[in-house]
Amino acid sequence: MAAQSMPTQATQLSAGEPPVVGTAPKASIQTLPYLLLLPSLAIIFLIELYPLLQGISFGFHKGSLLGTGAFVGFDNYLRMFRSPAFYSSLWFSFIFAFFTVLISYTLGLALALFLNLDFPGRGFCRVALLLPWIVPAVVSVVSWKWLIADRGGLVNIILSLFGAGPIYFLSQSGWAVVAVIVIKIWRSFPFMMLSLLAQLQVIDKSLYEAARIDGANNWQLFCHITMPHLRNISIIQAILMVIWSINDFETPYLLTQGGPSNATENLILLSYRYTFGRNDVGLGSAVALFTLVLLMVLATIMMRQQQKTH
Amino acid sequence: MRSSIDPHVTQAPPGQMFSDDRLGNMRCHPHMKNTNKFSSLLYFAITAAATLLGGSPAQAKVDLQFWDMIWGPPEYIDTGKALVAQFNQEHPDIDVTYRSVPWSNWYQTFVSAVGAGTAPDISTGASFQAVALYDQGAILPIDDVISEWRAAGKLDDFRPDTVEVLKFKDHYVALPWAIDIRIWYYRKDLLEQAHVQPPTNWQELKAAAQALTNPKADQYGFVACGDTLGSQWMLTLMLNNGGGLFKPDRQLDLTSQRNMEAFHYISDLVTSQLVYPPSAGYHDDDSVSAFSQGKGAFTIHSLGLPGRLPKIADKIEVLKPLTGPHDDKGTVAWVNNIMLYKQSKHPAEAKIFLKWWSEHEKDLWTKGHATPLPTRKSFTADPYFQDNAVTKSILENYLPIGKSFATHATGIFPKLNDVEGEGVLQALMQSLLQGKGVDSSVKAAADRLNSILEN
Repeated sequence: MAAQSMPTQATQLSAGEPPVVGTAPKASIQTLPYLLLLPSLAIIFLIELYPLLQGISFGFHKGSLLGTGAFVGFDNYLRMFRSPAFYSSLWFSFIFAFFTVLISYTLGLALALFLNLDFPGRGFCRVALLLPWIVPAVVSVVSWKWLIADRGGLVNIILSLFGAGPIYFLSQSGWAVVAVIVIKIWRSFPFMMLSLLAQLQVIDKSLYEAARIDGANNWQLFCHITMPHLRNISIIQAILMVIWSINDFETPYLLTQGGPSNATENLILLSYRYTFGRNDVGLGSAVALFTLVLLMVLATIMMRQQQKTH
Repeated sequence: MRSSIDPHVTQAPPGQMFSDDRLGNMRCHPHMKNTNKFSSLLYFAITAAATLLGGSPAQAKVDLQFWDMIWGPPEYIDTGKALVAQFNQEHPDIDVTYRSVPWSNWYQTFVSAVGAGTAPDISTGASFQAVALYDQGAILPIDDVISEWRAAGKLDDFRPDTVEVLKFKDHYVALPWAIDIRIWYYRKDLLEQAHVQPPTNWQELKAAAQALTNPKADQYGFVACGDTLGSQWMLTLMLNNGGGLFKPDRQLDLTSQRNMEAFHYISDLVTSQLVYPPSAGYHDDDSVSAFSQGKGAFTIHSLGLPGRLPKIADKIEVLKPLTGPHDDKGTVAWVNNIMLYKQSKHPAEAKIFLKWWSEHEKDLWTKGHATPLPTRKSFTADPYFQDNAVTKSILENYLPIGKSFATHATGIFPKLNDVEGEGVLQALMQSLLQGKGVDSSVKAAADRLNSILEN
């Protein structure tokens, strides 16, 4: 009886069949990717999911920094919604995010359009304009504080040259709000500029040439070619900047500690003050969870807007 | 790290571990050659380790962690370390490690340590820290220490009430070690230039400030700040007027008539433009700097203000305590704690260190220049205090009128720590310094304080 032999790779290939090489048991191939994912999933669970679940749990307990405390249901959330401080911090968070996104985007777009042109020193300008984003928050905020602190600060010296001021930016609620927003814009516009510049550089130049041949002016080029190409990245940038603005702890904390008179206290600072100043972990967690839900809702709305556009 | 070795292993004198005699003796029984080689190797390894690690194998030192807040200039920390070294020398069976803790985020530092199980054995701290942490199960009461010292008459050395004020739920939660107090200071040179006499009451203070205010010269009657020190301005004037934050039943009393008079007085000074305008946004350091530059002639600060401004120390004078509108005198003061922690594995030794430290800490002032005042009368009798005109004036005039901001309430309680830490009083002072409406600002503060107390 002739021995049956396994089909060789050559005969398989000649028959148009895929080669059978070192075939492993089917079950191993299916589980291996998940096994390889396990370490990453474990880390994600430990540093993201577990703290998140703990934080949610804290919001339903009357705890301190040394203990979870008794379960109190929605009591912390009711206290939060009854607190005037919550609404004033919500209002400040909103206007802080609104003006930061609006002005940093506008400024970033203008600079991106400018840096997309070809002119001597363009490389230097691109690097220099990134500096506000690169400098650590502590350094930039403290430096700004020296500039605006009182009569002897550089800003007031410049104002005095024009016969104006002095303005005590950190000592008056209204001006403190302006100061915090301006500093945040200064720290944020480079990110907008960089992302928009990257997108501008991939727009096909032939579109502009064709449009010019058809008689389009600069404004029409901007409205009908440039902005449509920037729409998706703009929405993504806006989502990110809203999230980063509402979550911004270091700018108001380092500059004003939420003052004067809680005028620059956002939701994150309020959560921090409840948790670490008042030792009320439940209330602090409730504010933090509300902030998370708020940001998720905003992000969902904006992403749906992006999908519609796409 | 020190560890004991097997007492059955004889330790060779240092330097003789590898001597030929010892090696020769171990080679004297050939039929046990291999066993002896192994034993000798093991023996040498153990004794080498013991020698390297140091210490007598028969003794195990008790390790204690002592966390001390920064209560003065850099020499304070050096003095603290030297004192600890002295204790360690006098107590060979106890080894205390000194750690200096900054005030920034101090509460988070301690609760994080307690929560993580790494609390120190003993620490100094703020005036309501012990009672707040005791309420959360972290503090070891020192009733036995107090009883022992009471029987020996040693409590007589402490200023009146400083020991009893740290009693909570019938337990002594800490030992008092220092008194932090707020003082009115003025620039003697500015008053002399303007021919103004140091004021003695609130009316004269306002009049003096008016005479010293010249906005064109960037000079004002007062320089204040909007941080914790600024809130203590408010507390000082409230207590000066016979007010206080609480009623005897520990209910909030922020809107009492005496307190409202103090708030309106501050507001009046601001709206009369007698307070340096950037004050609301100032921190402690900013206000000290502005005071040194003569931006304000009067300010409130702690005992250490002249020491922070050595170049103009001779121009800084202590104002005699002001008489309030109802003939009251008072200022805000805190009795700072030194406390033991329940997590300590060696509470007996910690108490030994506590008692020793309390009796020997005078160097913290005479060499370390600590800023608060000692609670011990024997310390304040030292020439260091008596020969210094500023300190002597504070001891004679301010210490007797120092009161806690919970002065009318019965004893201390944990919520005092939250009231101080949450920032409500700072926000209220910032509102007053901006010239905002007193009634609305106080109401907002009262609502927020009540939400702290009711939780």
